[in-house]
Amino acid sequence: MTSLEELRKINARCIHCRACQYAYSGEPDREGEDETYTGMLQGCPAGLYYGWEGYFNSGKQWMARAFLNNELPASKELLEVTEACTTCGMCETQCPNYIDTVHVTEALRAAIIEAGVEPLDKHKIFGERVRNEELRNPYKEPREERTKWLGDNIDVIDKDAKIAYYVGCTAAYRQQQIADHTVSILEKMGVDFTVVSDEVCCGSPILRTGQRDAFKEVMKENLDLFKDYDLVLFSCAGCYKTFRNDYPSHSGEPLPFKVRHAVEYAYDLLEEGKLDIKKEYPKKVTWHDPCHSIRHVGIAIEKEILADSKNWLLDSRKAQKAKEAHYEIPRIVLNSIPGLELVEMYRNRGNSFCCGAGGGVKAQFPDLAVFASKERLKEAAATGAEVLMTSCPFCVTNFNDGIKALKKEEEETGKDLSDVGSKLVVVELLELLDELL
Amino acid sequence: MTQMYNKVTDEVVKKLVAICGDQYVTTSEPLRHSYMARGIMGNEAVLPECIVRPANAEEVSKILVLANENLSPVTPAAGGLSGGFALPAIEPGGIYMDMTRMDKMTVDTENRVMVVEPGVKSGDAWRIFKTKYPDWAPPIPDGAPPAATVLGDAIERGFSLVTGVYGPQADMIMGMEVVLPTGEIFHTGSWALPGAKPFYRWGIGPNPDGLFLGSQGSMGIITKCAIKMVPHPHYKTVVAYGGETWDDIIRPAWEISKHEMGIAERTVMVQGGNYELVMTRWPKENVPVDYEFYKKIGVDQKWMNYECWAWSKEELDETLQGIDKIYKDYEVREKRTLPQQDLHPKQVASRLKKPNKIAIPYSLWQAGFLFITWYCPWLESGEMMEEYCTAMENYGFPPTMWVASIDHARQAIVMPILCYDSTEPGIFDKIREFNLETTKSFLKKGWINYRPDTFVHAPETFSKAKEYYKMLVKFRKVLDPNLILHPGRLAIPWESVSDEPSPLQE
Repeated sequence: MTSLEELRKINARCIHCRACQYAYSGEPDREGEDETYTGMLQGCPAGLYYGWEGYFNSGKQWMARAFLNNELPASKELLEVTEACTTCGMCETQCPNYIDTVHVTEALRAAIIEAGVEPLDKHKIFGERVRNEELRNPYKEPREERTKWLGDNIDVIDKDAKIAYYVGCTAAYRQQQIADHTVSILEKMGVDFTVVSDEVCCGSPILRTGQRDAFKEVMKENLDLFKDYDLVLFSCAGCYKTFRNDYPSHSGEPLPFKVRHAVEYAYDLLEEGKLDIKKEYPKKVTWHDPCHSIRHVGIAIEKEILADSKNWLLDSRKAQKAKEAHYEIPRIVLNSIPGLELVEMYRNRGNSFCCGAGGGVKAQFPDLAVFASKERLKEAAATGAEVLMTSCPFCVTNFNDGIKALKKEEEETGKDLSDVGSKLVVVELLELLDELL
Repeated sequence: MTQMYNKVTDEVVKKLVAICGDQYVTTSEPLRHSYMARGIMGNEAVLPECIVRPANAEEVSKILVLANENLSPVTPAAGGLSGGFALPAIEPGGIYMDMTRMDKMTVDTENRVMVVEPGVKSGDAWRIFKTKYPDWAPPIPDGAPPAATVLGDAIERGFSLVTGVYGPQADMIMGMEVVLPTGEIFHTGSWALPGAKPFYRWGIGPNPDGLFLGSQGSMGIITKCAIKMVPHPHYKTVVAYGGETWDDIIRPAWEISKHEMGIAERTVMVQGGNYELVMTRWPKENVPVDYEFYKKIGVDQKWMNYECWAWSKEELDETLQGIDKIYKDYEVREKRTLPQQDLHPKQVASRLKKPNKIAIPYSLWQAGFLFITWYCPWLESGEMMEEYCTAMENYGFPPTMWVASIDHARQAIVMPILCYDSTEPGIFDKIREFNLETTKSFLKKGWINYRPDTFVHAPETFSKAKEYYKMLVKFRKVLDPNLILHPGRLAIPWESVSDEPSPLQE
């Protein structure tokens, strides 16, 4: 179900209880260190930032209902409120009525645009660039330079292999070190893989921002391009989620290949006893769960089980356990690193607080993005960790932007903001794995 | 009715901005729609013309003065009682006052009273008590989601953690700060005396607080509420006993609950229902609908839960033994089989969890649900539930039923949960018809609504309780001469909710 009309009955389940505004809405007695981080906690970045009900999922569901019932016309104003959401899915985790909150929000965005409203200016630029066959990426970089980051390592390009590494636009053009580390890890693990030079944007930024026509174009191209591989690996949480969750629902077909995020692949090898990390990393680390690769995939696992179930009363627990097992994957990888001391942030796994970059927010609503980043940095700093680790290029960028903002504030005010995260070091887990292997 | 009121003009909006600040006033159409709610506590709602988010009682007062000048209706709301937005705006819309910015809470453990503003949510109150006052429990609604507010539940006389012993939440109120519809701010109880603490509810003269409690926001806006905290002993458990008929669960519960100053004092919550209460929490197409399945998994046709709090294991054991003895004696005396359920520790933990989301998932059955709540003398509740279940089945609704004791089973709150598909054409008419039929029947039997809805319960009730309605209107006109506060609620003005002759004309 991808259109808003198809989601009508799911949206109609909302009774406006607003449990979705709280992380741990079902765990009032969850133990924490102090009053700030104990029990249930507000967890919606946009709602906290703007305050108005419409910025929380609970309000959005009712805006969507009004739109569906022709009580609320498509307008730029509606699009602006709807787009000011990181689509992190914290709300979806909380909903006892299993409302696909993020699907509804994304479908509402698409429906507004399909009704003739122009995408918001920054989002429109993404769309135009991805639509452009000379580019096929949101960064306005030449398509022919997509594999330039590989430098002399051209042997991995388009070679005959059953495993492909889908690099994604951000690692190909902006954070090439992530692609370098991923390739290096795969090589060290002896994986026979290739990088496909014709890969195009996965479509995530344009799908999230309601530009579905362009999304479908690139989805078709990618599906055609990768259809003969056995396995496609990812280093970008957003690309991974888009392939894993969105391609099947928007194409109407199951994926013709398996998909794994590189961290999951490392986990698979650990489980099979094929990976043994010996080098030490003697640091206190806290882990930030990227919404796309952790929460969204976990929720999808749970809902896939329920979709096949004739008895939710019996199978809901099994589905929940499968979701929770997915949340453990990065933790198992981190705990396999000698010397690394993992300290969890209060809001973690399915209840994690978003970094603030997703859903098109980073480009269009930079103040909201930095607000969310600082909120999360504060939580990370409360753990006493020196390193904030994650595995998503957007989380890394947005956290670094948050730290920059804190440092600037320190310079301007002379205050020490280390207790809210100004001294944290953000590390991409793939970078660390590469160093340790 | 719209002729009685004026539209919220740009000029009024400018004045609202001058009161609250630009950041806290909006006429945005999408944002106004985001405050809508249809379902759970009522199906009627219209779009407000403007949303305003005041910071304090003074701002509330200024808004009301302005609303009187312009004759704009005002709907105050924060989080409502047990189901999110309990009081959306109804015709003719007007100014919607979102009280969530007013979220201060103070706690006085010495006098065992907390003071909350309208925006204090259950989840936040619980968190703060858990860390700072673990030996006390905030008076939050039981079974309500975390965003339900403490004040909303109290002033609408809602259900609490300990209603089985202490009565409705409103019984625990010690004082209120009220902004009258004409803008005056005053306090009730001992709080009325400047400098006095809210230690005595009945205060310095006749206590008018009952005019505001249960008024659904139509008599004044309560901007602070002093409310008793309850002790929070940590020896807690839940036991449950099954049965086949409503009497099987109602009568033993009455025997237990009337044990005042004995085991009943530690039995803080007595609530039960039927197996459909379990079944309709899941999608109709994805759960067995035959009772045999529920029997196999240990769910009785009907059952009653007893939640017990005690200061020691001995006290807890004594309470549980007392409950069990009453059940055993009852079985022998009445020749019934009423088995104690074998609850898994996770089931016990789940039932002890506060606040919780237990009331929410009934939308899964199809796509929408409505709680309809009635009060009756406890021992008559079985008859009410029997009639309700029959009517629900006649109308094609699953007979999902919940019942709970109030104040040692002096009263019962009986609550059918109507599960339906809110996208089905004509469904709201069908619900209204069902509601009207059962309401007419129940009123004849002397049963009353806990919280009369606007278009069925209130007009039906007041067309019978004419003298009461006349008095209510008199009070209302004294407090709110222009009827700006939440017009339509409590059937005032009558013409806005009913085509039948007004009781005032007789």
